[in-house]
Amino acid sequence: MSDQPLKIMVIDDENIVGKRLKPALEKTGDIVETFEEGEKALARFAEDPFDIVVTDIRMEKIDGIEILEQILALSGRTKVIIITGYATVEIAREALSKGAFDFIAKPFKPSDLRAIIERASKELRP
Amino acid sequence: MDLHITDIEDPDINYSNEPANIPLHRRPSISIRAKIAISFSLFFILSFTVTGWSYWILTRLENKIEFLEIADNYMVEIQQARRFEKNYLLYSTDLEDALGHLKTADEILTQNSEKIETILGRDHFATMVSYMTKYHGQLVLLGRAENDAEKELVVPKLRQFGSQMVSFAGEFVEKEQNSATRMFLLAKRVPLYFMGALFVLMVFVFTFLTRQLLLTLNRFMDYTIRIGEGDFSPITPARKYRDEFTKLAEAFNHMIKELDHKHNVLLESHKLRAIGTLVAGVAHELNNPLNNTLLTASMLTEDFHTLSDDEKIEMVNDVIGETERAQRVVKNLLDFAREGETEMTPLEIDKIVEDSTRLVVNQVKFAKVDLKLDCETNLPKIHGDEQKLKQVFVNLILNAVDVLPPGGEIRIHVKKDKSRGYVLVTVTDNGPGIPEHIQGRIFEPFFTTKSQAKGTGLGLSVSRGIIKKIGGYIHLTSSPGQGTTFTVSLPATESPSEIMSK
Repeated sequence: MSDQPLKIMVIDDENIVGKRLKPALEKTGDIVETFEEGEKALARFAEDPFDIVVTDIRMEKIDGIEILEQILALSGRTKVIIITGYATVEIAREALSKGAFDFIAKPFKPSDLRAIIERASKELRP
Repeated sequence: MDLHITDIEDPDINYSNEPANIPLHRRPSISIRAKIAISFSLFFILSFTVTGWSYWILTRLENKIEFLEIADNYMVEIQQARRFEKNYLLYSTDLEDALGHLKTADEILTQNSEKIETILGRDHFATMVSYMTKYHGQLVLLGRAENDAEKELVVPKLRQFGSQMVSFAGEFVEKEQNSATRMFLLAKRVPLYFMGALFVLMVFVFTFLTRQLLLTLNRFMDYTIRIGEGDFSPITPARKYRDEFTKLAEAFNHMIKELDHKHNVLLESHKLRAIGTLVAGVAHELNNPLNNTLLTASMLTEDFHTLSDDEKIEMVNDVIGETERAQRVVKNLLDFAREGETEMTPLEIDKIVEDSTRLVVNQVKFAKVDLKLDCETNLPKIHGDEQKLKQVFVNLILNAVDVLPPGGEIRIHVKKDKSRGYVLVTVTDNGPGIPEHIQGRIFEPFFTTKSQAKGTGLGLSVSRGIIKKIGGYIHLTSSPGQGTTFTVSLPATESPSEIMSK
């Protein structure tokens, strides 16, 4: 693990998600920042891009698809992982077609997400 | 092989034993047939009376004419007798002529005594006969007188009785002549009176029967309108007696019962549809607390040995909190979905509306619209079925959500309409509005502006049925571009808080 730590952003309007995922994802030595509001997350991303963004798809103001589009517009190399409330094929397909790295359906275990991030990091650091 | 035999129902179906029809049936019966029969009987009685009366008057006239003929003959005879009496006194002619005429007069009286008696009456007839007898007596005395002196003694009484006899008879003849003339006049006028009476009777019967029929028909028209609007309360007696229309009313009540039953089925199917819509939201709503629980519990096991006690307690509390959240979500939907009979209970309307907004919170969130609820305090209670009312409000909110673009607004206002004893719930959106030509049809069953997949067109018609049933009403104000407001007015039952505020 001599690699530089990855910068991971977690966006979910459920406060507990960020609270639990932050220590879970920091275990691999990565840097994790959590946000409950899409705008704040995008503003933060604009000033300092992240390697991986994990975002919930259904949120009140800006939804996950918009965040995906804006982030890919800002930084094409960023891997975006979508969290869906209830996995429907259409939403998953739409997210993937718009360039999402993968999606994960709620409820999930931290290890499930870590596995996806692991794959993402392999793509980022071949 | 199975043979299905369908019952051919008796065309003379009897619904009068149904509970809703008992008040209709428990009235004295006066059928329309009886009314028509009575009217015709009245005509018949009138005609009969007039005919009978005419017959009677003509018979009387006939008698009078007969009497007048007899009286005329009698008059001629007694006048002749008197003339011969005078001749005897003046010219000493034969007194036998006078006696002869008097005898004929007497015969006329005795022969026709019955007829004369019926007209003059027994007393007058007796007087008449006595005058003639007295005159006859004097005339006989006159005949026996030997000299002028004796004659002179008889003459005054003879003249007195003679003139009395003639004038008495003359008076009666004149009287009867006058009475016969009057009868003629009357007989001439009777047909005219009859025409008048007939006309009055006809007008009366006509207005009475048409009033009976038309008013009842109008009443039934009103019933159909009322039933069409979803008011399924049975028809109650409007008059003191029953007739053929009662059978119709009973059939109506039977139909209302069937419609009510069908309506309840419709209500249930509409509710199922609403549940279907809500479930999508609830699934998402459930996934969040589930996810939070799973994440927290996973992290708790993963880091059990490195976490501080405080952190562990916090995580366990999170698990408890999220489990309770899931429970609330499920309970709210189950309350709504619970099948059951209509239960009319006193309800707090603000709580009902609040629960309804909670049910649709996910749909509102997903559609990215803003929902604001504003309740007045100290609202009177209303009387109704909790589930069904929620169904109405959920339906109104979901309709608003469907037409609103992201960023749209739904405002719900719960307030009293103090002057009329109603509680008003207004659901306002700032969507595209409903075109005027559709507004009239919006409450019709199966009318929908949505695509086949999205709407059945039952929502508003079912909602109106629910509201009508508890004595309220629902209407909308809308103009294109200005949004739409649905107002639900519910009759308030006086609540303790209201009594206290008096």
